[in-house]
Amino acid sequence: MVQFHEHIISDLLEDSNGGLVVISSGLALHKLVSSLLLLHSPSQGTLLILSATPSQRSSIISTLESFENPNPNLLPSEITSELSAQYRHSLYTSGSIFFITSRILIVDLLNSKVPTSNIAGLIILNAHSLSETCTEAFIVRIFRSLNRTGYVRAFSDKPQAMVSGFSKAERIMKCLFVRRLHLWPRFQVYVSQDLERDPPIVVDIRVSQSNLMKGIQKAIVEVMDACLKEMRKTNKVDIEDLTVENGLFKSFDEIVRRQLDPIWHTLGKKTKQLVSDLKTLRKLLDYLVRYDAVTYLKYLDTLRVSEGIRSVWIFADSSHKIFECAKKRVYQLVRSDGVKLIPEVKKAMTKKRKLKDGNTEKEAKVDSSGMSSSSRVVIEEILEEAPKWKVLREVLEEIEEERQKQAMSSGGDQTAEISEADESIVLVACKDERSCMQLEDSVMKGPQQVIREEWEKYLRSKAELHGIRTRNRKKLKEPKGFGILNGVVPAMSREDSESVSINTLEHDALMAAASEISNTSEGNDVVTDNPQSTGIGGRGKGRGKRSKKAAADVQTSRSTNSRNRDEMKSGISVSKTEGGETYPKEADGCHKDIQKSSCVHRAVLWKHNKGLNPTDTNVKPIPVVHFYAIDSEQHILDIMKPSVVIVYHPDMAFVREIEVYKAENPSKKLKVYFLFYEDSTEVQKFEASIRRENGAFESLIRQKSLMMIPVDQDGRCLVLTTSSEPQASTLQNSITRKAGGRKEVEKEMQVIVDMREFMSSLPNVLHQKGMHIIPVVLEVGDYVLSPLICVERKSIQDLFQSFASGRLYHQVETMMRYYRIPVLLIEFSQDKSFSFQSGSEIGDDVSLTSIISKLSLLVMHFPRLRLVWSRSLHATAEIFASLKANQDEPDEKKAVRVGVPSNEGIVEDDVRAENYNTTAVEFLRRLPGVTDSNYRSLMDGCNSLAELALLSVEKLAELMGGQRAAQTLRDFLDAKYPTLS
Amino acid sequence: SPYISVQNRNAIIVSHRQKGNPLLKHIRNVRWTFADVLCDYLLGPNSCALYLSLRYHLLHPDYLYHRIRELQKNFKLRVVLCHVDVEDVIKPLQEVTRTALLHDCTLLCAWSLEECGRYLETIKVYENKPADIIQGQTDTDYLSRLQHSLTAVRHVNKTDVVTLGSTFGSLSHIMDASMEDLARCPGIGERKVRRLYETFHEPFKRSA
Repeated sequence: MVQFHEHIISDLLEDSNGGLVVISSGLALHKLVSSLLLLHSPSQGTLLILSATPSQRSSIISTLESFENPNPNLLPSEITSELSAQYRHSLYTSGSIFFITSRILIVDLLNSKVPTSNIAGLIILNAHSLSETCTEAFIVRIFRSLNRTGYVRAFSDKPQAMVSGFSKAERIMKCLFVRRLHLWPRFQVYVSQDLERDPPIVVDIRVSQSNLMKGIQKAIVEVMDACLKEMRKTNKVDIEDLTVENGLFKSFDEIVRRQLDPIWHTLGKKTKQLVSDLKTLRKLLDYLVRYDAVTYLKYLDTLRVSEGIRSVWIFADSSHKIFECAKKRVYQLVRSDGVKLIPEVKKAMTKKRKLKDGNTEKEAKVDSSGMSSSSRVVIEEILEEAPKWKVLREVLEEIEEERQKQAMSSGGDQTAEISEADESIVLVACKDERSCMQLEDSVMKGPQQVIREEWEKYLRSKAELHGIRTRNRKKLKEPKGFGILNGVVPAMSREDSESVSINTLEHDALMAAASEISNTSEGNDVVTDNPQSTGIGGRGKGRGKRSKKAAADVQTSRSTNSRNRDEMKSGISVSKTEGGETYPKEADGCHKDIQKSSCVHRAVLWKHNKGLNPTDTNVKPIPVVHFYAIDSEQHILDIMKPSVVIVYHPDMAFVREIEVYKAENPSKKLKVYFLFYEDSTEVQKFEASIRRENGAFESLIRQKSLMMIPVDQDGRCLVLTTSSEPQASTLQNSITRKAGGRKEVEKEMQVIVDMREFMSSLPNVLHQKGMHIIPVVLEVGDYVLSPLICVERKSIQDLFQSFASGRLYHQVETMMRYYRIPVLLIEFSQDKSFSFQSGSEIGDDVSLTSIISKLSLLVMHFPRLRLVWSRSLHATAEIFASLKANQDEPDEKKAVRVGVPSNEGIVEDDVRAENYNTTAVEFLRRLPGVTDSNYRSLMDGCNSLAELALLSVEKLAELMGGQRAAQTLRDFLDAKYPTLS
Repeated sequence: SPYISVQNRNAIIVSHRQKGNPLLKHIRNVRWTFADVLCDYLLGPNSCALYLSLRYHLLHPDYLYHRIRELQKNFKLRVVLCHVDVEDVIKPLQEVTRTALLHDCTLLCAWSLEECGRYLETIKVYENKPADIIQGQTDTDYLSRLQHSLTAVRHVNKTDVVTLGSTFGSLSHIMDASMEDLARCPGIGERKVRRLYETFHEPFKRSA
């Protein structure tokens, strides 16, 4: 345990009410929480942990397991909806520690299934995502009203997110009823002392980007800047926020959306498109340093297809440069006599030159018209490697060299050698799993091989496309939307014919290369063992050939990918036994450890062994390398215990993790290499992320000094009720539930609420208004206000979506069937504009796509449907209260039976909603042929969507109750995707 | 009850009470004519509308109730067309909502006279229109359908749909893809990979 963690915990424990802790990201929050859990004793009561992500859950558990003699009582388990209500109740009284989802806890609290006096306290993670109306705030309010002594301890390691609204930290603290804010930035003195006492050796390597990469980066930044300027013109967003630096971060979208959301409906198409374009551009910058040249080109292709003409940026001048440079990193066109064909590359030339170029093009066209064009114009591969690949290899070689030197110098000293071997793990940390796999390949097979495989894959998909295209030759004449390969130029009319011809040439040449590749690979597939020399011959075919062993490993056809992965693994183990080196054994033991601890997903760690590359006999040896995907959010430093970490993609949180790891293992030698692209947005972003975090902390420190948290005479936080309701009203649920015989103080209002609605804030607000909330699973409607009134609630976004999907129509239809007064509640958001659209968007004619038309049709077809228009959550609560005024209270037992197929019994206290893979169900219901009446039997008939994909038409027909629906579904599942056209 | 001539069957019949309402000049896509009717706008044999400005409601809170009471019961669709023309809407709108709901009227809100006019026009123009455009008959071409189903998974966007489609060739192959193959797709990050994989492989029903 690092010392500053002890400080944090002792500070936090000072206030028995709890507090809110905000630490810098990467400072091992999971360990901090684990240490806190160690202090728990069952005699205090049960401890519940809320809103932990799955990866946080697993890292907390594995941290606790890694402590010496872990106390099994202290290992948290999960309370899920699958446990029966009685069993859940017994867990609540057990005194142990549990992870629990907010939805189950709130339902159990409202049903008085939680013995709150037995709860020691709540720990809430990810406090930055809380708000006054969120379910966690609801939970804490009920918990606090029933248990005044329990603690609420909340944590966040995303300080930037804590300052993203007006005095957000203070508002969060108020809704948690805590009054202490603990701030632990990286620059805090204890933290920096701890981490800088014995820092690791750092080697900072700046890799320069290739000229084309620089060109792309410059062009993207230019386009981004242009988009931002456009955005400024709209005068809708604070100008200070509109900087390219901000644009590099995901949070930029939030900044923009927060400012635009209130007026989102009133924005023109162009502004909305700008917002999404900026997002796309940010991705392009990010992928530039993460993807290889071919994949990048492929992504651009895809983007052209999916973004199409709507994007503003795609037609900007600089955008053209992005596409052009990206292509040039992969290939260029040459005539077979060696003369370069540079059609649109040098746009910025003088007119004269252009004319000359045009001539060449025409010449080429004339030349090629006679014979097959591929013989005249061919693709010259460039296949630029990522510059970091080579550097990584060099660094690895250097590490190995150093080690061997050390081993030599320590001579016959056996013990030293073993300890050295122990520490021999080299960890390469990159952003995502994709990079892991590719880097491993690059280290193992060499960069050229990797990029070539990507290129072959790329060409192969072109060949498939070609296959489709030749079938409908007619369409070929107009190669529309064919990605970057065709129609590249937003051509001026004069050049039209030229560019078309050049594009055709290019297309044909690519096709030729593609068919060559696919022929070659088909040959390879059949005779993989056929020894082929590593030809150096001409372009295309010759280079495509590989040595025997490589070919076995290297097949890129996607269907065999996973198989190959296994082959590679077995390849590793084979070479281990054969090679008889010292390292792999140790590494193997370590690997087992990892598997045992089960915290590390098998898929994120790729092991590599130096004996693997049989072709490169003269290549210098490299050490055992592990690859780690930062995005996987698994804290593997403690498990791997690497002695060298290569940070391939910069990431602030991960760098901090390394610091903490080093501070915890002061005796261990640790060397850290940073591989950054020089003058890249990668570096800019890394540095900016540190600045931004510091800025966030400074702002929090200021806020802390000005905070006003009201407390009562015992020093506890006051329950703040903005409404005039007496405080007792929040207790209503429990009192009336427990004491049936007690006299009723006032007439209490009851609302039956569908379990799924606890994702929204309305139940919380209704409860604040003093209504009694009865959570159940409703088949029809979201809220039942009285025996007559049933409400389907739609936020504006939901409304538009469910009109499009037809869901709303069916929901209203069923409500009509069962209730006298079916209500559609259209709920606007408080901070968004209260209107559907701006005046200018209404248009001159009655149009089918307009929301006005859809709503009109709905009310015309369901004249008995009542509409309720609500300005906000709070307004909804008022309206509900007023609608209930002269009505009877709803009947819970009746409400849950409404609309449920009679063969499906109702299980009391069953939280059914929680038991569904909701995304999968939604996905299923969107498939053609699937209807409201057959989706249930489909779900009964197969376990998952993956299983569904394998069912035969016959089986499907049986489940769906019809041949036609089954055929529709089967056809859709098997339909061939029209490749990039 | 008013006599409706044949040529007026395709027109909105406007009550004389509405004379001078600037809303009238926004009814352009349908003919309209004055006549002596109890409702403000007679939109068809079974449907009618009352116009209410929220500002007016603030001055005469009982007006709406009296107007509704005047209407005969023989209309299937009785619309209260509420022009939201005040800033502070919550309280007046709540009153109007309650009155409309408890007296069998359908409340439609509009934020401009133009929008008010459009609702009247639309209800008239679509008098005999089936409901299919709101019944979910979305575009039937393959790409839109594929996009519609795949975007059920959170954060999967149009570009991802193209990437997945062109990488795996068909939906059943996408549904059968391994995590690793998904991760190899450009633009599909760790979280999307996990979300997609869970959608396809986690059981529909998570039973113990």
